[in-house]
Order: sequence, then C-alpha cells, then structure tokens
Amino acid sequence: MSVGGEWPAASVEARLDTEDGICVLTYHKLDTQAIIASVTDDKAGATAVFIGTTRDSFKGRTVTRLDYQAYSKVAIKTMADIIRQARQQTSRSEHHVEGYVSSIIKCAVHHRLGTVPVGESSIVIAVSSPHRKESFVACEYILEEVKRKAQIWKREFYEGEREGDAEWKENVTTSKSA
Amino acid sequence: MSTPEITVLYFAAASTATGLTVERVPLPPDGLPLPALTDVLVSRHPQTALAKVLAGSQWSVDAEMVDEPEGVVLKGGEEVAVICPVSGG
Repeated sequence: MSVGGEWPAASVEARLDTEDGICVLTYHKLDTQAIIASVTDDKAGATAVFIGTTRDSFKGRTVTRLDYQAYSKVAIKTMADIIRQARQQTSRSEHHVEGYVSSIIKCAVHHRLGTVPVGESSIVIAVSSPHRKESFVACEYILEEVKRKAQIWKREFYEGEREGDAEWKENVTTSKSA
Repeated sequence: MSTPEITVLYFAAASTATGLTVERVPLPPDGLPLPALTDVLVSRHPQTALAKVLAGSQWSVDAEMVDEPEGVVLKGGEEVAVICPVSGG
C-alpha cells in the first residue's frame, strides 16, 4: 500500500459488500472500468457513472494535489447507508412489483484516500438500473450524500504556498469545494 | 486501581491543530459527560486552533455518530473521534 506515511492510523482501506452494492475506501488508483463492470447485470438497460477528479485550480490558485483521509470504519458504514437509501427511494416507481424491489439494480461507490494528483479521480460511483432515469437520480443522490455525510476529509495544496498553509475543505460551508 | 482512559482520534483540521492523530486521555474516576470533553481536550492543547475546531465539529463514540452529546457519559475504554465538517468527493 503506497501511503505517504502521515495518514492517521484510523484512515485505512475498507470494503463493505451489501445487498445494495459495494462500498470501497482505497489508497490505490481507482479503476473506473472495473467499478462499472461490478454493477453490470443482464436486467440493466442503463448504467450511470460519476467520476470526481482533482481539478488544477481553485479560485485562481493553482492546485497541485489533494490529500484525502477518512475515519474508515465509520465512513464505510455511512456509505453503505447512503446506497441503501438510494435503492429504497427508487423502490416505488411506475413499475409495480410486489414486495420490496428497487428499480436500482446495483450501486458501487469507491472513494480514494491519500494523495490524489491533478487529473486523477477521487470518487467513482456507478449505478445500474433497468431504465436510465433511476440510475441518473440515484447516482447524483449518492454523490451529494457522500459529500454531505461520509467521514472523509480533503486538504487542498496550492502551488507556491507552504504545505502547512494547505486548506482543509468543508463541503457544507464551502459550496463550491469539489 | 487504574485510571479510566479513552482514546481520542483527530482527523483533518483537528489533527493539524493538535499535531496528533490519536491520544490517550485519562478520565475522572466517575467518568466524564461527553460535552465536558471539549474543555479537557482544549486544556491539553492550549494556544492551538483546537477550541475553534471543536466548536464546529461533532463527536463519534465507538464508531457511532452522536446526535445528542448531553446524554452521553464516558466511562473509559471508548474510542472518541472529533468529526470535523466533512469534505469527501
């Protein structure tokens, strides 16, 4: 595991497989194709994918990298709760099916930890469903909820500024952070 | 005979303020109401940004987010984390 050595001991890799899908926290580069493949299903007519990537600027400053850390054992439970909610919300659609059947087939949410250089992805979400609308809606819901609730933090580093001055971001108070 | 202790985890801004990611903190023999932990931690890290960070943070105790700190009394052995405003994604 290639970590910078300064990550908190509680910020570890984690994976949780539930009936709703897969949640992963990893220090490794995210493999978008493999994540998409993990939600494929013959019943799926649609797969919605969101890829969040480190951008090279923030309010005119040049961003050199983002560092992520998580309280992994709590964050992974939060992520699993979010994908359960995402599937339950779409369980009553125009397609009437007996019992609890979600219109979402499977969700995968992978969040990277450690240093994420410019151009690399920090989060990949993939959602499969029979029809496109449900997967689009669930994918956006999962992203917004992860940003709002998951116990994950990012620090933004800027060119020409001391590392100690790098800023810990806050999604709720800083509306344009990611 | 041993003093009860908790483990406190710091992340993000709380970690930058204290220079620590984990710390063992002794409790009074009768335990400590969770809201009182703020002053205990600030007294261990005076002249830092920790007080300000704690004012804007939540607690988790044993990997569960705490909605109402007033109802929680730490007895010793717990893992308490300072949950700063999150910024995943």
